[in-house]
Amino acid sequence: MHIFFRRLGSILREKPRLNMEVFVARSRLTLIFSLFALLFLSSSSLSSSTSELQILTAERRIDLASHIIRVVLTLKVQNDEASPASNVLLAFPPAQAKHLALIQAAEVAGKKRKKSLHPLDVKQSNHADGPNGAKLYSISLRNPLSTGGSVSIEVSYVLTQSLEPFPVEISQSESQLVLYRDSALILSPYEIKQQTTVIRTPSTKIESFTRVEPSTQLRTELKYGPYEDQPSFSYSPILVHFENNNPFAVVEELVREIEISHWGNLQVTEHYTLVHNGARHKGGFSRVEYQSRPTISGVASFKHLLVKLPPRVHSVYYRDNIGNISTSHLRTGYSKSELEIEPRYPLLGGWKATFIIGYGLPLEDVLFESDDGKRYLNFSFGCPIAETLVNKIINKVVLPEGSKNPSIVVPFSVERREETSYSYLDIVGRPVVVLEKENVVPEHNVLFQVYYDFHPMSMLAEPLMLTSVFFFLFVAALAYIHMDISIRK
Amino acid sequence: MAQSAKPISSPVPDAWYPSLAVLMLAVGLFITASFFIYEATSSRKNRSLAKELVTGAAASVFLGFGSLFLLLASGVYV
Repeated sequence: MHIFFRRLGSILREKPRLNMEVFVARSRLTLIFSLFALLFLSSSSLSSSTSELQILTAERRIDLASHIIRVVLTLKVQNDEASPASNVLLAFPPAQAKHLALIQAAEVAGKKRKKSLHPLDVKQSNHADGPNGAKLYSISLRNPLSTGGSVSIEVSYVLTQSLEPFPVEISQSESQLVLYRDSALILSPYEIKQQTTVIRTPSTKIESFTRVEPSTQLRTELKYGPYEDQPSFSYSPILVHFENNNPFAVVEELVREIEISHWGNLQVTEHYTLVHNGARHKGGFSRVEYQSRPTISGVASFKHLLVKLPPRVHSVYYRDNIGNISTSHLRTGYSKSELEIEPRYPLLGGWKATFIIGYGLPLEDVLFESDDGKRYLNFSFGCPIAETLVNKIINKVVLPEGSKNPSIVVPFSVERREETSYSYLDIVGRPVVVLEKENVVPEHNVLFQVYYDFHPMSMLAEPLMLTSVFFFLFVAALAYIHMDISIRK
Repeated sequence: MAQSAKPISSPVPDAWYPSLAVLMLAVGLFITASFFIYEATSSRKNRSLAKELVTGAAASVFLGFGSLFLLLASGVYV
């Protein structure tokens, strides 16, 4: 018994010692933790903008009608800090930042009917990533925002490859259902006082959507919000499962060769690798069922593609490895031409088609002379097929022989390199400017320019080459006539 | 753009290409014929190298330009 008491006494005596050690250890831990927290907080406040802004109202409209997602974000930003702010930061989750094809911002001036938009510069921010790898983009304001001032900004961005087909494989007679992952709360480095998100789906058939109160569905619109007083970097993941049978046309690679000839023609040759990027097709393909019941069979497939070409286009051809494809219609007009093409077979999920489209344009529509004597080509950059995503576009501009110092003016970032190509009547070869870009959407169909120097006398090189060949033939004939090869004198 | 955009087109109008091709090739072949007739009709003593070379040069110029316009008229924009 007294052994037990002795044991208990020793334990009791041990306990204060343990408590002391634990207390010291715990206090050390809390000190370290608070130090880290302080460092993190101070570093995070350093990594965000030098002045803290507050977003008064934010409205986000997400359009999920096509497989290219377009989002319009309207922010009303107020400056609460002492120093004026010249940049506004936007945050995107890493998955969205990877698939961001285009981002544009504009300052909204005036109200309602008299609204005018002034475009602003948007680029990737130098700041460190936000929590969980959120990527930051920085909008440069036209005039620095003074203390207490507010500004309305409209940001529009385009996301690609963000709709996952679910089920992944469907048969011919099934409809295509896709998943969209996002957040009910707008991810932002600043606090948002009031925010709303509206998602528009192409049809009323929405299988399910995550409910984050208050969220409502009205026919094709899902409304998340309004949410009040959300802290910075708040994120609430949601999942929307809905039907989308619009064509998921994706061009895996587009190689476009633009050949300039100063004798009056611009020849464009485009090599396409087209794929249906939606839910993969499983099972067999019954042509009878496909043609007899078009409303039930093959609703997620597409047959026709619309190619928008410049006006005054001539010599248009549409062919592939086998030969000419005759299922096409060309409608020329004053402002544009439309070529409606139909591949040899309808495209179901996962099916591919490769083809070549070529056309010619008169030179005076595309080649101009600038004030400083340089010539420049004015042509559109993106893919001419409507509502198509291009994974990789390679534009090769073949300049005539004798061109020097090529330079480019493109409104967005592209990769550039130079090559030489040999064509008819070439001695030294033609310089080729190759422009490559990935993740190209129809919004990239803007004009770009390629400037180069060309002396008009260089055009004479071609006829002089032909003349010299004929002259060589005449000289050879003369030499033969004047040569005496008779054996007998 | 602030700069004036002056469209550039070919130094020779497009519509003239087929006519120019036929005309120049015809003249070139005519001079070629005259060159070979001179070769055939003159004897070794009377031949003048200068006249032969000039005829050959003129014929090759016309044939060269004619064949260029023939290529352009048939759609091979060199």
